Amino acid sequence: MPVLIRWKDDRAEAAEDPFTAVADEDPIPRGDVIISLQRFQAEGQRLLAEGRKVGVRIEPNEAVEDLARDLPRLSVVALAFPKYQQGQGYSSARILRERFGFGGEVRAVGDVLREQARFMVRCGVDAFEPADGSSPEDWTHVVNRYRHVYQRAADDLAPAYEERQAS
Amino acid sequence: MKALTANRLLDGEAVFLSEGRWVERFADADLFEDDAAALEAEAHAKTQLTVVVDPYLIDVIPSDAGYAPLSFRERVRALGPTNKPEHGKKTEGGEGIEALLHATGAARSKGRVELIRRK
Amino acid sequence: MYRYDAIDREMLADRTAEFREQCGRRLAGELTEDQFKRIRLMNGLYLQLHAYMLRIAIPYGALTGVQLRKLAFIARTYDKGYGHFTTRTNLQLHWIKLKDAPDILDHLAEVGMHAIQTSGNDIRNITADPHAGATADEADDPRIWAEALRQWSTFHPEFSFLPRKFKIAVTASPADRAATKVYDIGLRLHRNPDGELGFEVLVGGGLGRTPYLGPTIRAHLPARHLLSYLQAIMRVYNRHGRRDNLWKARIKVLVASLQAEGFAREVEEEWEKTDKAAVDLPDTELARIRAAFAPRGFETLPATSAAFEAAKADPAFARFARHNVKPHKIPGYAIVDISLKKPGETPGDCSAEQMELIAELGERYSMDEVRVSYEQNLILPHVKLDDVAAVWKALHGAELATPNRGLITDIIACPGLDYCSLANARAIPIAQAIARKFEDPALAEQIGELGIKISGCINACGHHHVGAIGILGVDKKGEEFYQVTLGGSAEAEASLGQILGPALPAARVPTAVDQLVEVYLRERLGGERFLDTFRRVGLAPFKEAVYAGAH
Ligand code: SF4
Repeated sequence: MPVLIRWKDDRAEAAEDPFTAVADEDPIPRGDVIISLQRFQAEGQRLLAEGRKVGVRIEPNEAVEDLARDLPRLSVVALAFPKYQQGQGYSSARILRERFGFGGEVRAVGDVLREQARFMVRCGVDAFEPADGSSPEDWTHVVNRYRHVYQRAADDLAPAYEERQAS
Repeated sequence: MKALTANRLLDGEAVFLSEGRWVERFADADLFEDDAAALEAEAHAKTQLTVVVDPYLIDVIPSDAGYAPLSFRERVRALGPTNKPEHGKKTEGGEGIEALLHATGAARSKGRVELIRRK
Repeated sequence: MYRYDAIDREMLADRTAEFREQCGRRLAGELTEDQFKRIRLMNGLYLQLHAYMLRIAIPYGALTGVQLRKLAFIARTYDKGYGHFTTRTNLQLHWIKLKDAPDILDHLAEVGMHAIQTSGNDIRNITADPHAGATADEADDPRIWAEALRQWSTFHPEFSFLPRKFKIAVTASPADRAATKVYDIGLRLHRNPDGELGFEVLVGGGLGRTPYLGPTIRAHLPARHLLSYLQAIMRVYNRHGRRDNLWKARIKVLVASLQAEGFAREVEEEWEKTDKAAVDLPDTELARIRAAFAPRGFETLPATSAAFEAAKADPAFARFARHNVKPHKIPGYAIVDISLKKPGETPGDCSAEQMELIAELGERYSMDEVRVSYEQNLILPHVKLDDVAAVWKALHGAELATPNRGLITDIIACPGLDYCSLANARAIPIAQAIARKFEDPALAEQIGELGIKISGCINACGHHHVGAIGILGVDKKGEEFYQVTLGGSAEAEASLGQILGPALPAARVPTAVDQLVEVYLRERLGGERFLDTFRRVGLAPFKEAVYAGAH
């Protein structure tokens, strides 16, 4: 099982992953699961009715808007980054947080490297399955390396223009 | 005929494999007649992570002035930029460089590196 | 001129510390080349034919003397004593060692410079009209907006892993000196009939394998909404741009497939949902940036200068004045072009000594401002007419006074196969050979305005599609061949060039240019430029001249 890194209160920590990521061709196991959007649309209501926690995996070409109605009942939205160049997930994360006010976990899965960590955190991703073996310490270090930001995003950092006004 | 080339990690210099070492002169490069041996050398070079970047084999052909890389691009790599006579490997001069500069008559590429001469 | 404050400087310090650490991990073998490549490419460090190449950002092409001197220092200390200005108004150093790169970034940061986002699939260095703040025909100073965009796009959390690279240019003048029609986003700042400042927004222009002129998707965007509107464009592109095929990944392909109206609709829909106040800059910040570019120190002078007129007695100076001196918005001042196109030299190259001299001239005579234009030349934007002769004299002594701005020898050429690992053929030696053919300044002057633009491959860094004569290097069975196009222009009336005929071998290219010029001189009417004559008479006579007798 990959290590899960959670981002909370400005630092990363290792966490147990209570969810099982289920491939479309596999049967649904017991417990909390993360399933594809397609499977969620077919079986999601039943799984939620069983009282378990459900997460949905969104592929780069899928629209988080399709989940809009179900978001209040979802625990996790897992954004897939099959290759680091596939950056659609950054937009998806911001839309989830800023437009839909999604308060559950937004997880990055796939080709997730520490070089992307800061961008992802700023877009509202708060759980990671790093593919490069980075530790929570590495993650904390790279995310907090910069003292300033130039633009507002899904985090609560004040952009440079606000810092300037305050000083 | 093949030779093995790469760029050196530390400074990016174009280098060639010569008896197990990476050297800057094409004239000193090992020439592989045997494809299997060439591929083996390339595979080993790919494990030299902290020494060279992107090693690859290049075609080498006999020309009227010794062996030369077949492709024009590789000759530019072996000589330096043609717009600045004062920069790059060609400034060292010598037989090997002369041979490359005048390598005409290649099967595929007839172009001379000094195609357009400076006054 | 905008000066970096503590926040801007700390951003650079944090960036260089990060890059130093990343280089250390690579040299220690903790990162493979594949992993490291994408890291160095987010910081303008390429591996080319002979060495690493570092591309240094020059936001909106504006430099101070201190910055230019620092570039000279870096070129001399870490390179071979020169640098190459590009069509993106950046500076490329072609002989860099990986182990020196972190130190170079530290040096740059000292003067508020960097290599951030000069490569990678992100928003690249923002370019603008090099005459900004000096030309009378602008609606506002485009640098204000370009600086706002620089900050907004730097380390943008959502738009740093786009389908492909992304380039934005800003102009505020009807005479487009920033090639806004061939950019991913071109911004044309103007006032509407009510006097309100706004942007005409062009999206999806670009050169490369499939060239497009960017269509307008919004005729007048209120200026204060620039950032929220761009966020909407970028978001539509980031979500829907193609990532399955490198050649179809630029925004131009998305815009073409949806049609301009369809794309505009997507953007407007996204923009409707955007919390604009959270994205657009507050007026206080805009005012802060605006103040940095406010004109200061101009003297009240007569519109004409006796010294300037008297100096024209020297025909060499008179020629320089005709081609390299442009009117300024303030009476008694002029914009002075410094040509980096001395025939026989490499277009865009500038030695460390030349950079130092220009830095000094900029400080002394041009309010400490030097500009870079996409034509690979430098500009002193604010020179008193009284001082132009002195500036000319100093430039002349450093081989920088070539009086050829806009003429046939003012050739744009990318580095091509002499340096670039993506090239098919060389570009520089072709430029050198053509320029030598026309090096007699009287001949060049007689021919008049004629832009030759040369690229070493279809990536079109040399803008060949928009050259009145465009030349593209192609590889035919290992030999260098060149495809010629005619009739391109990146100016207000932009057009893409048409292919003249089969590609020519290298040695034929200068002769072919000669033949094209002959046809033009024969056919031209009145004050027609090459482009005008071509547009009137079409391809046929040119084609006939070049290919007559060929089979
Ligand atoms: S046009 Fe091609 S050859 Fe020229 S610099 Fe760009 S990528 Fe290199």
